[in-house]
Amino acid sequence: MEFQSCVNINKEWDIVGARQIGRDFARKIGFGTVDQARIATAISELARNIYLYAGTGKICFETIEEIDHKGICIIAIDNGPGIAEISKVMEDGYSTSGGLGAGLPGVKRLMDDFDIVSEQEKGTEIRAVKWVR
Amino acid sequence: MDRKLKELVVENSDTIVHMWLEEVSKSRQTDYTSTISDELFESTNREFVNVIFASVEKQGITTELDDFSERLVNLGWPLSYLTDGLQAFRRVTIDFILSELDQVDSNYFSQVLQAVDKWVDPIINQLVNEYSGSWEHIVSLQRVALQELSAPLIPVMENITVMPLIGTIDTERAKLIMENLLDGVIKHNAEVVLIDITGVPVVDTMVAHHIIQAAEAVRLIGSTCILVGIRPEIAQTIVNLGIDLGKFPTKSSLRKGFQSALELTNRKIVSTKSNHDDDIEKLVDSLDRE
Amino acid sequence: MRIPILKLHNYLLISIQIDLDDQSAIQFQEDLLSKIHKSGATGVVIDLTSVDIIDSFIAKVLGDVVTMSDLMGAKVVLTGIQPAVAMTLIDLGIHLQDVPTALDLEQGLIKLRQELEE
Repeated sequence: MEFQSCVNINKEWDIVGARQIGRDFARKIGFGTVDQARIATAISELARNIYLYAGTGKICFETIEEIDHKGICIIAIDNGPGIAEISKVMEDGYSTSGGLGAGLPGVKRLMDDFDIVSEQEKGTEIRAVKWVR
Repeated sequence: MDRKLKELVVENSDTIVHMWLEEVSKSRQTDYTSTISDELFESTNREFVNVIFASVEKQGITTELDDFSERLVNLGWPLSYLTDGLQAFRRVTIDFILSELDQVDSNYFSQVLQAVDKWVDPIINQLVNEYSGSWEHIVSLQRVALQELSAPLIPVMENITVMPLIGTIDTERAKLIMENLLDGVIKHNAEVVLIDITGVPVVDTMVAHHIIQAAEAVRLIGSTCILVGIRPEIAQTIVNLGIDLGKFPTKSSLRKGFQSALELTNRKIVSTKSNHDDDIEKLVDSLDRE
Repeated sequence: MRIPILKLHNYLLISIQIDLDDQSAIQFQEDLLSKIHKSGATGVVIDLTSVDIIDSFIAKVLGDVVTMSDLMGAKVVLTGIQPAVAMTLIDLGIHLQDVPTALDLEQGLIKLRQELEE
């Protein structure tokens, strides 16, 4: 699949890089400042998950267009250990790393559509879409 | 073939018009046009059928059709009047053509159907487009108007701002309310915001959830939110639904809320009127003595 | 990158003006706590006017810093959180319930004084 833009996540600083690129990307699509912040924050959460649990991976951005509206699709891909209990990580306050446990359910609330596919020992792919209002 | 049929129809337009008028008038009694005066109905019918014939003759969209449909849209004639009328036209025309012939084979029959469809369909398309275009336009205008109305912010005095909410709150509007609220707090440097829900007809869990979120966001940016205008029935639903509004202050009326807003910003209302009253009393007293 | 911490009478003033990464956030937490320890400050204002993203990690660090400073006897007020940031935090489900906030630095100092007087 062709992505318009990808950022590799290898070290901690890449999290900041990814969200800056994502924010620029969102601005170009035409998102307002509030939604830019939402998107950048969602990217930050996804990138941190990759860094914390998989070590390395990448975040890709795509513009999506439908008849009457545009949006951004953020794809987070890693080849890490995968998620054993998806329903559990989508619960508020569940964390295995001592964080706030707001990450994935938070991303789901920040974005419009959210889809997660994970296979143990193979990796995780998360797609999150936000539409321009 | 097509031309021959057309000539036949145009030559006998009087008969067809007559048949059509009868057909349309038949369905009139019970339907939507029954409130329209007979005169207007007749004259519109005449014009309509002329427009149909004009466009059949010229084979395509005519300026008459444009003008006619635009006028009917503006007058608010129902679209179904036009589609029903055109369907009636299709029926009577086919009936007429077939009655003119002695023998009909199925091949000829389908050719007639096709020819008549070719006359009628473009007109229907044009009219439906015209109508739906005008509806879409109205809907988009109303959406803009609603958005302008949906989250007003009134800076009543220094550091105190009021947001009166009126009407139903859905997710989309809740987001808009939150954005306007927070931007307004920053813009007016408001230490206290009063959200007045007197005009919100129903407060269910969803609405309460949005209001709580807005209040919490207001607290995060460093201001205080007071929820006012809680009517008895809304207090009841809130408690019955088990919604916890305990974390931020609520008041029954805007007036009471405004008072606590003043207290929060270390101010109070001082009446200047009593002094005047005293003066007048003194004046009256002095007059009495004289 | 280190975040400068300024001292004014009994207060410490911090204005965060960089895009915080995790390392700088933790560094900041350590710096602030040791500064409170050394200076004996009773109040801290952290101004976030120029911060345009707070994700769950940064939020946790900020929330922790407030609790930790409290333990050390210094009240913390967060000021200037941007509307977009506030909405994002709410969406994330982070309410920073026990953290005092104020509109700007000035209001923050007033709030600190009020709280310390009480």
